[in-house]
Amino acid sequence: MLCRISTSFLALCWATMVMAQSDALVNANRKYQEGDLAGARVLLDEAVREHEFSGKPEAWVLRGFVYKDLYKKDPLGRDGAFFREEALASLFVSTELDTAREFSQSSIQAYDFLTKTLYNDAARALNELDQDKALAYYGKYKQAVLRLAPGRDLTERDIEFNNALGTVYTKRFNQAREQQEWFDKAVSTYRQVLVLDPANYGANYNLATLFYNRGVYNIQRISSENDIPSLQRIQEVSREFFNEALPYMLKAFEMNPRRRETLLGLEGIYYSLQDERQSDHYRALYEALEAEPAPEK
Amino acid sequence: MVASIMPRSLLLLVLPVLMLSASDPREADKDTSAIVQASYIYNIAKLVEWKDPALKSGNFKIGVIGNTNLYQELIKKYATKSIGKQPIEVLKLPRSAEAEPCHILFVGQADLALMPALYKQIKGKPTLLITEYQGALEDGSVINFVRVDNTLKYEISLVNSRQHKLEVGVTLKQLAHHVEE
Repeated sequence: MLCRISTSFLALCWATMVMAQSDALVNANRKYQEGDLAGARVLLDEAVREHEFSGKPEAWVLRGFVYKDLYKKDPLGRDGAFFREEALASLFVSTELDTAREFSQSSIQAYDFLTKTLYNDAARALNELDQDKALAYYGKYKQAVLRLAPGRDLTERDIEFNNALGTVYTKRFNQAREQQEWFDKAVSTYRQVLVLDPANYGANYNLATLFYNRGVYNIQRISSENDIPSLQRIQEVSREFFNEALPYMLKAFEMNPRRRETLLGLEGIYYSLQDERQSDHYRALYEALEAEPAPEK
Repeated sequence: MVASIMPRSLLLLVLPVLMLSASDPREADKDTSAIVQASYIYNIAKLVEWKDPALKSGNFKIGVIGNTNLYQELIKKYATKSIGKQPIEVLKLPRSAEAEPCHILFVGQADLALMPALYKQIKGKPTLLITEYQGALEDGSVINFVRVDNTLKYEISLVNSRQHKLEVGVTLKQLAHHVEE
């Protein structure tokens, strides 16, 4: 469907200029309209290498659409990533050359479509807990977006991505708690979010919980093998984690005092810091919230 | 016209952000104080000698009044262990001053009202009483948990231990936060 839309669009755009074009582009366009993407690709690859066409935006925009459709035919195929890269590169060149802005709108929309596929691939990789692939796709997404619009502010996207990435690292750490690197990466990633947005509730809460649960986990590992000196050392190490957790959980509470999870988090952190008075205080706030009648629908 | 023939806009997928769940100290396996106290109790049992010959055989009984999480932690990690040749037996005792004879008796701070009667009940008996309230050593407790620098430690009364025919080991004394000679 999209292929036909693209074909129609290009045919329309070229209606007034096709007579002026040489056979190479006309033939490539014909093949494209007939659905012969491979044939169109060969002609266009040759065309853009020639001086006659290398400076013509119509050659590059057609090449961009051909490669985009090749990518869409088999995005996960062996050449999918290459086709997408070529499509993005060609569409970018076309926008640079298209000073008359004859093709800019369609080029930019096609380019935007392809950048979104990069972002969505990063999201899918995060869902599969494949952080390396996610980072690679997200890097390509940012690179592609900024190539076309160097001034574009991607802070919101960075925040969303890093919050999700922090979740992946946390899940990884929960699956293999002896691997400290996942914990360190989760902490570092949430901290990156807080550099961009110090008032990000999710990053504050998740970072606090990460530290708190880490301290609890240390204590949970106490066994009959532990003597009193080791027991005291474990407590001291855990205390550091609880102290790290506290300011982030307090910040999350300050931002939203009616979130149950922060009240429970503060109850737990203070309890583990042996501060019974504060722990009871936040427990009481939680119970008061629980006792409130449910809002009418 | 042009807009209608453009590629349809692709929606961005929602990224998978999870709100983590903080450990609930009300759950036995996440109650950090109960876990630490249980470990202390097990170590205390190893570092004290019960001089009364009647307590040198049979099960090594640890009684808990109140504090269900501590009881569960003791059961989970230490109930299959032994003190010397005596297998550990962990008992959840009713909230009553008529406590079953035990080597160690822990009374939680929720049951402070029982304390005067309990002190009378175990006076002179070879029971190591462990408590967790301020001023407990003065009242007659042998070992009392105290909160120091955001951690849990213990204090000992050697005077009270002697009254219960208990020999407190050097290590236990040295590692205590405070020792009443």
